[in-house]
Amino acid sequence: MAGGSICGFLEMIELLNHLVFGLAVAVSPTNVLLCLAGCFLGTLIGVLPGIGSIATISMLLPLTYGLDPVGALIMLAGIYYGAQYGGSTASILVNVPGEATSIITAIDGHQMARQGRAGVALGISAIGSFIAGTISTVFIAALAIPLTRVALEFGPADYFSLLLMGVLASALLSRGAVSKSVAMILLGMLLATVGMDLETAAPRLTLGYPQLMEQIPFAVLAMGAFGLAELGRSLETPENRDVISRQIGGLLPSLSDLKQSAAPILRGTAIGGFLGVLPGNGALLGPVASYGVEKHLAKEPQRFGKGAIEGVAGPESANNAAAQTSFIPLLTLGVPANAVMALMLGAMTMNGIVAGPQVIERSPEFFWGMIASMWIGNLMLLVINLPMIGIWVKLLKVPFRILMPSIVVFCAIGAYSMRNEPFDVALAGFFAVGGYLLIKLGFEPTPLLLGFVIGDMMEEKLRQALIMSRGSLAIFIEQPISAGLLALTLVLLSVLLLPRVRRKRDEVIVE
Amino acid sequence: MRSAFRHILLTAGAVAVAATAAFAQSADTYPNAPIKLVLPLGAGGATDNLARVSSGPVETKFGQPIVIENRPGAGGSLASAVVAQSEPNGQTLLFANFATHAVTPTLFTNLSYDPVKDFKPVTLIASQPHFVLVNPDLGINTLAELIDYAKKNPGKLNFASAGVGSPLHLAAEYFKIKAGVDLVHVPYKSSAPALLDLIAGRVQVFFDNVSTALPHVQAGKLKALAITSSKRSPLAPEIPTVAEAGLQDFETYGWWGVAAPAKTPPAVIAKLNAAYVEALKSPEVSSKLASQGYDVIASTPEEFEAYIGKEITKWAPVIKAANLSPTN
Repeated sequence: MAGGSICGFLEMIELLNHLVFGLAVAVSPTNVLLCLAGCFLGTLIGVLPGIGSIATISMLLPLTYGLDPVGALIMLAGIYYGAQYGGSTASILVNVPGEATSIITAIDGHQMARQGRAGVALGISAIGSFIAGTISTVFIAALAIPLTRVALEFGPADYFSLLLMGVLASALLSRGAVSKSVAMILLGMLLATVGMDLETAAPRLTLGYPQLMEQIPFAVLAMGAFGLAELGRSLETPENRDVISRQIGGLLPSLSDLKQSAAPILRGTAIGGFLGVLPGNGALLGPVASYGVEKHLAKEPQRFGKGAIEGVAGPESANNAAAQTSFIPLLTLGVPANAVMALMLGAMTMNGIVAGPQVIERSPEFFWGMIASMWIGNLMLLVINLPMIGIWVKLLKVPFRILMPSIVVFCAIGAYSMRNEPFDVALAGFFAVGGYLLIKLGFEPTPLLLGFVIGDMMEEKLRQALIMSRGSLAIFIEQPISAGLLALTLVLLSVLLLPRVRRKRDEVIVE
Repeated sequence: MRSAFRHILLTAGAVAVAATAAFAQSADTYPNAPIKLVLPLGAGGATDNLARVSSGPVETKFGQPIVIENRPGAGGSLASAVVAQSEPNGQTLLFANFATHAVTPTLFTNLSYDPVKDFKPVTLIASQPHFVLVNPDLGINTLAELIDYAKKNPGKLNFASAGVGSPLHLAAEYFKIKAGVDLVHVPYKSSAPALLDLIAGRVQVFFDNVSTALPHVQAGKLKALAITSSKRSPLAPEIPTVAEAGLQDFETYGWWGVAAPAKTPPAVIAKLNAAYVEALKSPEVSSKLASQGYDVIASTPEEFEAYIGKEITKWAPVIKAANLSPTN
C-alpha cells in the first residue's frame, strides 16, 4: 500500500518534471509566436467552408523548412486544432462542417444559431474545447505510452465492430424518423463505394469519369449536401434567413448554460480522448458517440436537434480531446492515425526528426515540447476566440444577399483547391441539388455524411478482417474486443428497437 | 498547277524555317515564364518534398519559379493527362513516377492520352528500394527462411500492401512470382495502418520504403530481412541485399523523374536535363535526399526512356498475375 503510494508520488513528480521541461521548450518566445500564428491561421482557415486542416497544413508545409523543427511542428499542430475549432464555427454559423469531426456540431449548433444563441454555442464550444484540451494534455503526458497498446490491440475485426456501433449511433442521432436516417446512412455508404476497388483496382460506379477513380472527396460532399443545399432552403423562405440576422442574443454562455454543459463536457472529453487514440478515423467517432450518450442521458431527448446546448458541449469536447489524443500513435509509435497526422509525420521527416518508436528517447525536447504546446495552443484558442465571438456573430448580420454569394464562392474555391480539379466544383453543385431535393423530401444530410465517412472505413476493415480469417465470420466473435463491441451494439440496438422500455425508465426517473 | 505546287512548297518551307527559328529562340530564352510542374500526388507528402528539394536549385539557375501543381487521383492519370495535352514548350512538366509510367500503361487501357508516346523523358531523379519486413515474433531471421517457411505453409502468411498497384503492393506480388511462394494479400489504403497491423502481427510480411520502415527496424519492432536493391543502403549497411540473401534477379524500386510533353523541342529537354542533373549532383541536394533514403540517379533523357521501357515490360506480367482489372 505505502510502497504503491510512494511509487505513485514519484511518478507524479516525474510527470511534472517532464511537463515543466516541455513547457520550457514551448514557452520560448519563438515557439509561443509560432503556436499563436498556427492557432490563428487555423481558426481563420477552418471558418472558411471547404478549406480544412489537411489542405492548410499541406500548403504550408514547405514554408516550415527553414524553421527549427520543434517550432515548425508546434505551428502545424496549432493549425490542426485551430482548424478543428474554426470548423465548428462554420458548422454553427452557416451549417457547413469544415471537417468530418464537426458534422455533429452542426446539428444542434446551427439550430442554436437560428434561435439567436450563436454566441452561446460558440462560447460553450470554446470553453468545452479548452477543458477537453487541458485534460487530454495531462492524459497524454501520463498515459501516452500505455495507451499505445490500445492502438495496437485494435485489429480490422475490432475496428469493424466499433464502426458498426458507430453506424447504429448515427441512426439514433438525427431528428426525424429512424427509417429515413437509416436510408440516408445507406445512401452515404453507397456513395463511399465510388472509386477504385481496394483489392483489384477495378473502377466502381465511376460512370467513366477518371476524377471519380479515387473517391468522392469528403469536403465536396459536405459542402454540396450540407452548406449549398441549406442555402437553397434559406432562399425559398425569406423569413427564415432573417431570423438569423435579427436576433443575436447573449454572446457568452450564462451560468445555467455552463451548469448544463459541465457533465457533457467531461463525458465528451473521456469518450473523445479514448476514441482519438485509435488509428484510422477514430477521432470522428468521438463526437458521434458523445452526442448519442448525451441524447440518451438527457431528461428530454426531444430537445436534441432543436438547439440543445449539451449537443454542442459534449461533441465539441470529444472532438477536441480526440484531436489531441490522435497524436499519441504518431508520438509513441511513429505511425500516423489519420491524414493530418501523416502530414505531421512528413513534416517531422523533412525537418530532420526521425519519427518512430524511439522519438521520446531521441528527441525528448520535441516530444515534451509538443505536448506542452498543445495546452498553450488551447489556451490561445480560448483567448483568441472568446473576444472573436462578437465578430463571428456579426458575420450573421451580413445581409443574406451578400452572405449567400460569398459562401457559394468560398465553397467553389474550396472544392477546386483540394485537387486543382474543376470537376470537383461541378460535383459539389451536383450534391447541392441532390441535397436540396433530399431536404425537401424530409431527409437529413447528417446521417448521409456519417454513413459516407464510416462506410468507407467499414468496407476496408471488413474486407481486411475477412481476408485474414480466410472468409470466416467467426473472427468477429473470436476477437475479444470485437465480441465485446458487438455485444454493446446489441444492447444499443435493443434500445433503438424498444423505445417503450426507455419511456418507462424515464418515468421511473421522474418519479 | 505547277505554280500552285511551288507556292505550297515555299509556304511549307517558310513555315518550317519560322518554326525552327521559334524553337531555337525558345531554347535560348527558355524559360521565360514560370514553369508548372504537375505532381500526380497530393501536397505535403514525400513525393511533394522530393519535387521541391530537387527543383529548388533549378529555379535559382533559371531565374524562374517552378510552381508545383498537385493533381492527385486515378493512378496519376489526371496529372499525366494535363501535361500530355499542354503546350510542348517546356513550361508544363510532369513529375513522373512508378504509377504514371510503369503501371498506368498496363493497368489503364482507356486513357485520353498515351502514357508512353505522349511524353519525352527529361531525367530520372531518384529511386528508393524497399525493405522486406516481417514481424519479429514470426521467428524468421533470413530471407531464405521466409521463402522456406512460405513454401512449407502455402497461403498461411499474410502480406500487407499500401495502395493497390503501388510499388509497395507490386513488389510483394513480384516476390511471390520470383520466390515461387503463396502469400495472401491484405490490402490497405496507406502505409501507416499496414505498419500497425504488421507490428501487432496480424499481417506477417510487408514491403515498405526504406525511409518509412527504418525507425521501426532500428527500434526492434520489425525485422528487415533484405533490401530490394543491388547495393546495401548507407542508412542500414547491416541489412543484406536480396541477391546476397539468396534471391537472384529480384530488384524493386519506387522511382521519380521529370517528363515533358512529347513534342517539346530537344534543345529545351537538354537544357532542363542539364539543370536538373546539376541540381541533383550538388552536395546539398544529394546529401539531403540520401538521408531520406533515396538513391540519387540524375540520368540522361535516353537512359530514363530506356528505364521506363524496361519497367513496363517488367511489371506488366506482375500486374496481370496480381489480377488487377485493366479497365477504364
